Amino acid sequence: MKEEANMHAGTLQSFEDSMRALEELVRRLERGELSLEEALAAFEEGIRLVRALNERLTEVEARVEVLTRGDNGELKVDPLASPGKE
Amino acid sequence: MSMVNSSPPVSAPFLSVTELTQLIRQTLEAHIDTVWVVGEISNFRVPSSGHFYFILKDEGAQIAAVMFKGANRGLAFTPHDGLRVLVRGHISLYEPRGNLQLYVDFMEPMGVGSIQLALEQLKQRLQAEGLFAAERKRPLPSLPRCIGIVTALSGAAIRDILTVLQRRFPYVRVVVRPVRVQGKEAPLEIVAALEDLQQLPDIDVVIVGRGGGSKEDLWAFNDERVARAISGCRVPVVSAVGHEIDLTIADLAADVRAPTPTAAATLVVPELAEVLNRIEQQRRLLVTAFTRVVELYRQRLKQLAQRLRDPRHTVENLRLRLDELAERAQLAMARRLEYGRQRLRALADRLTALSPLAVLDRGYAIVKHRPSGQIIRDARGLAAGDIVEMQFARGRAAALVRETEDP
Repeated sequence: MKEEANMHAGTLQSFEDSMRALEELVRRLERGELSLEEALAAFEEGIRLVRALNERLTEVEARVEVLTRGDNGELKVDPLASPGKE
Repeated sequence: MSMVNSSPPVSAPFLSVTELTQLIRQTLEAHIDTVWVVGEISNFRVPSSGHFYFILKDEGAQIAAVMFKGANRGLAFTPHDGLRVLVRGHISLYEPRGNLQLYVDFMEPMGVGSIQLALEQLKQRLQAEGLFAAERKRPLPSLPRCIGIVTALSGAAIRDILTVLQRRFPYVRVVVRPVRVQGKEAPLEIVAALEDLQQLPDIDVVIVGRGGGSKEDLWAFNDERVARAISGCRVPVVSAVGHEIDLTIADLAADVRAPTPTAAATLVVPELAEVLNRIEQQRRLLVTAFTRVVELYRQRLKQLAQRLRDPRHTVENLRLRLDELAERAQLAMARRLEYGRQRLRALADRLTALSPLAVLDRGYAIVKHRPSGQIIRDARGLAAGDIVEMQFARGRAAALVRETEDP
């Protein structure tokens, strides 16, 4: 169970991972120990991450749904008509 | 009464032990109805039968007590030694052993309410089990794809949560699993809701909670089953029960306890603007750092380019050095020549001093045999009639040897 949770955390943390990867690239560039080719590769990777991160922020469609069980016990997901009222 | 007379009655029949204990029991039961007793539990034990056996005592006395399984099953808390309780029961005699016993059918702890005590006991039990341990707490995802919410659809909690989510970070999927949050059915509904939400593959975090209410209203969140469902959830759970002051078992079992539903929503999503800022800040740092690296290499390139002209510098230097060396060589040579010349002059002088001609000056002459030219050092080399040549300091003369004389 714990392993499962960790595995799951691995995928859901991808945003944070990308963010950390970006920060690490910046650090490496700032340290100035990279060859010009490495620096260019790091820069390109960084820009790619920035783009991916920005896309990731807005890629999930904002929606509120209600999860219920039907008569046959099946799970159903429906849009929430009017939150806070019933 | 006749049976307590000191001498045996003549006509009355003797009582068997059974009859006596029966009589005592009947008398007791007839005279002492239901009693309420306050005392301290000691020697509490529960054999496999499930009945509670204990002693109820105070400073002055004690009495054996039993609470049968049927009666104790409804007890919210577990009695223990030292607990002061109020019990209701009746007195009777356990005939097989002739023991006087208090048969308890109701028990409540003194001081704290039984429910409160039960809560404390549950808390301690789960605590001992490690259910609330800090190392069990999982961090919340920084950016959940889908947020599950277990609460009542009609409550203020869901409204507060959705409002905050919409304001802070609208790009997220929210799935509400409606439940009753109070009443007898609430705990099982909450447990089922948690299970259902875990079926959703992209669920990353769950908020479980309700708005404020009385202690009784929040009771479902003190349920052991709810606590276990929360701690067993495959994704982190944020509890948000009532207000800040209401701390429930669910709160203790949750990965993060939010003081209110509003706070829970704030915890599960970041502020969009903040995240965008963070990305933009990193992007700027990236560009700056890269530009600096490029500038660094440009500088190095420039320096290298400058150093590429060095061979010419080197030849020039060599030429200068050569000139200098040549100059020094010439100087050294001249000096050496001069030294040689001086030495030569000195030697010539010394030679001059050693020259035989100089001796001749002092009046000596050199005699040579003619015509061999041999210098004569011994008269025995000569015979009469030989011609010798005499060389003086100035000029020569020939002479005829007339006679020789041995030394």
